Amino acid sequence: MEYINIFVKAIFIENMIFAYFLGMCSYLAVSKTVKTGVGLGAAVIFVLGITVPVNYLMENYILKEGAMSWISPELATMDLSFLSFIMFIAIIAAMVQLVEMAVEKFAPALYASLGIFLPLIAVNCSILGGALFMQERQYANIGEATVFGLGSGVGWFLAIVAIAAIREKIRYSNVPGPLRGLGITFIITGLMGIAFMSFMGIEL
Amino acid sequence: MAVDVNSNKYTFFFAAVMVVVVATLLALASESLKPMQKENVANEKRQNILASIGIEVDAADAEEAYNTNLVRAVVVDANGQEVADPKFGAFDIDVLKDYKAGLSNIYKKNAGDMDGMKSALLAFGDGGVNYPMFVLKKDGEEVYVVPVVGTGLWGPIWGYLTISSDGKTVIGAVFDHKSETPGLGAEINQASFQKPFEGKSIFDESGEYTGIKVMKGGAKGSEHGVDAISGGTITSNGVTEMIVRTLKIYEPIFRQLQGQASMVEEIEMPLDSAAIAMDSLNVELRDSLGLSSN
Amino acid sequence: MSEVAVAEVKEPKEPLFSKKNRALISNPMDDDNPITVQVLGICSALAITVQMKQAVVMTVSVLFVLAAGNVIVSLMRNLIPNRIRIIVQLVIVAALVIIVDQVLKAYVYDVSKALSVFVGLIITNCIIMGRLEAFALANKPWPAFLDGIGNGLGYGFILIVVSFFRELLGSGKIWGFPVFGQKVGALLSDGSLATEATGLYALGYVDNGLMILPPMALITVGAFIWIQRARNTKLIEA
Repeated sequence: MEYINIFVKAIFIENMIFAYFLGMCSYLAVSKTVKTGVGLGAAVIFVLGITVPVNYLMENYILKEGAMSWISPELATMDLSFLSFIMFIAIIAAMVQLVEMAVEKFAPALYASLGIFLPLIAVNCSILGGALFMQERQYANIGEATVFGLGSGVGWFLAIVAIAAIREKIRYSNVPGPLRGLGITFIITGLMGIAFMSFMGIEL
Repeated sequence: MAVDVNSNKYTFFFAAVMVVVVATLLALASESLKPMQKENVANEKRQNILASIGIEVDAADAEEAYNTNLVRAVVVDANGQEVADPKFGAFDIDVLKDYKAGLSNIYKKNAGDMDGMKSALLAFGDGGVNYPMFVLKKDGEEVYVVPVVGTGLWGPIWGYLTISSDGKTVIGAVFDHKSETPGLGAEINQASFQKPFEGKSIFDESGEYTGIKVMKGGAKGSEHGVDAISGGTITSNGVTEMIVRTLKIYEPIFRQLQGQASMVEEIEMPLDSAAIAMDSLNVELRDSLGLSSN
Repeated sequence: MSEVAVAEVKEPKEPLFSKKNRALISNPMDDDNPITVQVLGICSALAITVQMKQAVVMTVSVLFVLAAGNVIVSLMRNLIPNRIRIIVQLVIVAALVIIVDQVLKAYVYDVSKALSVFVGLIITNCIIMGRLEAFALANKPWPAFLDGIGNGLGYGFILIVVSFFRELLGSGKIWGFPVFGQKVGALLSDGSLATEATGLYALGYVDNGLMILPPMALITVGAFIWIQRARNTKLIEA
């Protein structure tokens, strides 16, 4: 039950794009067609689903004060949390590159469709955002952290597919010249964000 | 001498050197600056405590001013009873760190179930959770400063509430936050949010504990409510949650200050003997706090 | 590696502020603005444009990190293995930001308190990664430094304009000072709270609360892009 709760919350109520506006850069740059949107969205789900639990282990077994007591009791007073930013970001970049290599080797077809998006993801703030939210919210176990990562990814996926579909349609509309492209996308995203604010405050 | 920068060997070599250099730099910066950072943090804590009783001082003078105004610092357990020989002094208890280290989960899991929460708190770590309370002098009277900590929208929020010597009126409040949204939730560290707490009461007329609630628009005329920040609903709710939950822990002390018997506690105690034990504890506490039962 | 090095040696020495170098600073202000044209650094632009003060602090931080990061990466550009370049860049930026934050925490605690909120936002700011990847990796330190300054300023320009309107319309203030008069409940200079509205508020003016919510940042930036492209028609997308 707790898992479903976290999952639904991460998708709708705490949507990475509409509630926190994280990962906007790639969201705006890669939402011209639904096809690329689906590709990047899937890659984000994938990467969030992997990096959040890995960072969870990192946080709870190495970085947090007293987290290293499993190695030896003398290390219980070590507090490496000043390293958390750099560790998270390094893990994210390393995981992204590992995943890229693995996909290229074992699933060439998937690589052909996802591959170009993977490097983009290391700089997607929703990924680091996911790690930092995980750190802040103190999930009870790695299962919850994984579900949160996947849920955030699905929320991001939904957002980019929705805006991509709108952008495909809007191409046939008579938008004022200077507003075409980026401008109208900003405004539509803003309106979608206002709509999503209605989810805020819902308690599951 | 041409080096193939893309060979595996070089890549590994580069990565290793980079890790060592960066780790050394960061560790060096962190270790060598730690004493100064700790001093800054301690001084900020003193400044915050003083600010909650209405004294504004510079960081440099904080220590002296704190020492002149401090009457005593007490450590209480989850039942609101003073701990005779605490592991850490009141000033050294880092409520924010405790909160992050597992208390936040206890509070979340037992929200609304005070008994369950208390037993979890008493069993926490070795010897249960300790809560600090600072007794300071203000205009010749003793006032009671209590640290509060909770969660806002983006991260932790914390602050100090000062209760007057009558045990129910708030006479000062300061709050701060780690990363709330500027202009929205971040406004909790502004005087315009903190001032209205002054004069509010944490008990209602019938003596029931209410705490102070941060409400949207509805605070007009309420004894126990303060206006919420518009657009900062989640932060405002976090402030309410941390105040109501934390002050509840100290409730027995405030009740003694009011000279009331802790009636609620007695009713909730299942056994008479427990109630008697509680009473005797209360007496002890009263003695040790140096309070007269008026 | 050798090819690049040779090509650089052959270039004639150019003056420090040649036309090309000046363009590195002026282009990001308009034609090649990081936010409205390159679509970089949007997240932070949305998060911290509620108040001008925050926007300025963020601009200064990004300017510093971007210029320093660009120079460091540019100095190391022939040493960084291609396969791990992204991770190297991220580590350089993150280390830079953390060290600065630690030093500030020890020596100027107040500044650090104002800044610490942004530490995470600076590291993930895609302007920094974008410019490291697109410019610093392929250019000499001096142009890379100028590119960092230029893009930092271009970014800051949008931040400050957007935050100006959001603070003015959303809270009725500029740089924290009320400009439309006093609202009920505002803090007065003597430490008490105002009980009567003055100025525009007395006439019934109400702040537009929507402006301080994040979606309005998007719409304000959208409006800014509209105005910019109406003026500068070559930016219009087909």
